[in-house]
Amino acid sequence: MRIEDLNELREKQLINGDQHHHVGRIITKEIFSVYYELRILLYLGVILVTTGIGILIYKNIGDLGHMLLIGVLSTLTATCFWYVFKFGRDYTDEKVKAPTPYFDYIVLLGSLLFISVLTYLQLLYEVFNDGMGATTLVTAAFFFYIAYRFDHVGVLSLAVAALASFWSISISPQKWYSGDFVSESNLYNTAIIFGVIVACAAIFLDKKRIKTHFTFTYINFCSLIYLVGALTGMFINDEDYFLHLLAVYAGCAGCIYFAHLKKSFLFLLYAFVFGYIATTFLIAQLGLDDPWLWFMYLKASCGGFVFFIIRYKNYFKRAE
Amino acid sequence: MRSAYNSIWLYNLGIVKEAKTWLKSGVISAESFNLIAGEYKSGFYHPNVMIRLLLFVATLIGLAGVTGILVLMFQDALDEIGPYLSIVYGVGSLFILELVFIGNNNHYKSGVTEALLYHSIAFICIGASSMFGFQSSESELYWIFFVCMVVFSFSAFRYLDLISTICALGCFAYLVFFIMYNIGGIVQQLIPIVFIAIFTPMYFLAVSLKKNSAVHLWNSCILVLEVLSLIFIYAAGNYFVVRELSVSMMSLEIAPGEDIPLAFVFYLLTVLIPITYLFFGIRNKDVVLLRVSLAALAFSVFTFKYYYSLGHHEITFTASGILLLAISFYLFRLLKTPKNGFTRENVLHEKWAASNPEAFIISQTLGGNKVTVDESFQGGGGTFGGGGSSGNY
Repeated sequence: MRIEDLNELREKQLINGDQHHHVGRIITKEIFSVYYELRILLYLGVILVTTGIGILIYKNIGDLGHMLLIGVLSTLTATCFWYVFKFGRDYTDEKVKAPTPYFDYIVLLGSLLFISVLTYLQLLYEVFNDGMGATTLVTAAFFFYIAYRFDHVGVLSLAVAALASFWSISISPQKWYSGDFVSESNLYNTAIIFGVIVACAAIFLDKKRIKTHFTFTYINFCSLIYLVGALTGMFINDEDYFLHLLAVYAGCAGCIYFAHLKKSFLFLLYAFVFGYIATTFLIAQLGLDDPWLWFMYLKASCGGFVFFIIRYKNYFKRAE
Repeated sequence: MRSAYNSIWLYNLGIVKEAKTWLKSGVISAESFNLIAGEYKSGFYHPNVMIRLLLFVATLIGLAGVTGILVLMFQDALDEIGPYLSIVYGVGSLFILELVFIGNNNHYKSGVTEALLYHSIAFICIGASSMFGFQSSESELYWIFFVCMVVFSFSAFRYLDLISTICALGCFAYLVFFIMYNIGGIVQQLIPIVFIAIFTPMYFLAVSLKKNSAVHLWNSCILVLEVLSLIFIYAAGNYFVVRELSVSMMSLEIAPGEDIPLAFVFYLLTVLIPITYLFFGIRNKDVVLLRVSLAALAFSVFTFKYYYSLGHHEITFTASGILLLAISFYLFRLLKTPKNGFTRENVLHEKWAASNPEAFIISQTLGGNKVTVDESFQGGGGTFGGGGSSGNY
């Protein structure tokens, strides 16, 4: 926006003098925020440090320097947590505004460093007897605690990912596109159950009005895990696909419900994409092999869908 | 020629979108926002980004169905007059877009419009290319890219489309590169200099256009031009780009101990261009320069590490991470009270910044530290690659 446009708004009495002054200073660059730039630097810093330390631990495991390394890491972790406990605000069920623009990243760095220390100790001294499973569970529990204590959605998403990986469901980008997200036998059923349980927990917390702004992250993860799981189940058991087909439809219904509830159209997209794949699969299974009919199907389904959204655009607009 | 959309509505939509960021940042109240929205009306159908994506996907699938039927119907004619049919089909879709969706139903970047637009661009370009016989000779290849560039420029201009803008500039850069490449000899060595010579005026043109109120409708396209010009200037001077392209395309052989011709110039440019960007970004409070300079700086560091690495990536990662953290904490502390107008506070919401996507990016890029725990311990190495820059631009 140019300053002339802003003046026009002021002349039409649509904004008051204070608002004009506030926005005007931004437009004329009298004040210039570097908030996002600095946050991106912080984010890159956290990525580099934690990645570097991860490799450092991996390469030097068993070397003489490990006591030193543990010492340094523990000190860093302790510093981060000293800071966040000293300056952090108290816990409430509501959204908490961070006291400083960089507070979130100290929480994040501290949590990740803590996990590095934990992993290192586990490898050296086997703190938990049954190996990696327990470590993952402890990691998840720790992340959940931090996420709720300091109101950190990023750490919450790490917690959900850690919890999923305890059940051997791995949700990292590599797994998404390489498609071996649930290649193991019956892991797709685990994914379905996991998705349902997490969704129930999230809805329960939401109804209790505890950190309602966390609900999106929960539902995002569990709907993706659930839908991918159900779809994989459907493709793998192509003799006996019907149950998983119903599961996909149920998941889509859940997504649509949630989209209405939270006015979040991302879930509508999930429901459409997964539902469409499942329906197309069903039609293929039912023995449609005439190319002409396939074209008609493609055309009619998508045309109908576009028509539906545009026809009811007022509904979608209102809900935005 | 002008934009396909109603320019008053576009202007009003721009104002309302801006007001929405004020609303989200708490500058104005909901009542003021409603007043503004009531005063600056626009009749466009312009849904939010998710609906747009949905409509885009659905329209593309539907169009694939239509194309399939037409292919079946005209199967016999395709061998003879295929290219012409393709062009006719593309232009026809463009007319449908223009008359039915933009004209009658007031769609503006609704997902349907993009799908139809790319669909018709694809058919026009494919038709034109096969008329030239695809890759028979170099001069025909030039023509293909020239036609694509014209089609993309048209679409960028008439439909204010950003992806078309990017593609048009890409075609242009490709044309310049290949014409010079095919002349051969000394001209090949001049490619970086010519790129800098072409895109520097282009950048200043974009900057001056941004101030011109007559073309304010195209502001986002101009922004794309601005950013891409900066990137092309940087890439043309970057040692890594020049060296790798010289080796792979101009079959330059570099013996150990030797270097590419004029290497020192490119070393210098690799360092100087990002610093220049950063300097002017800070001095003029130019957010575009500032952000491009940060990305360019990161790439320059990578360039030097690539050729002069000591082999301890983990130490580099950790050290540079600590350095970045230190710099940013220092700047945050420094700007606790605004200095020369620079402030650390978030004065206006960026429309792409929200905590939920940020959380998703964090989980997908930083999760490695703990997921590796149950995979016999591979360190966080794998998580580094894709994560860094993808989420931030």
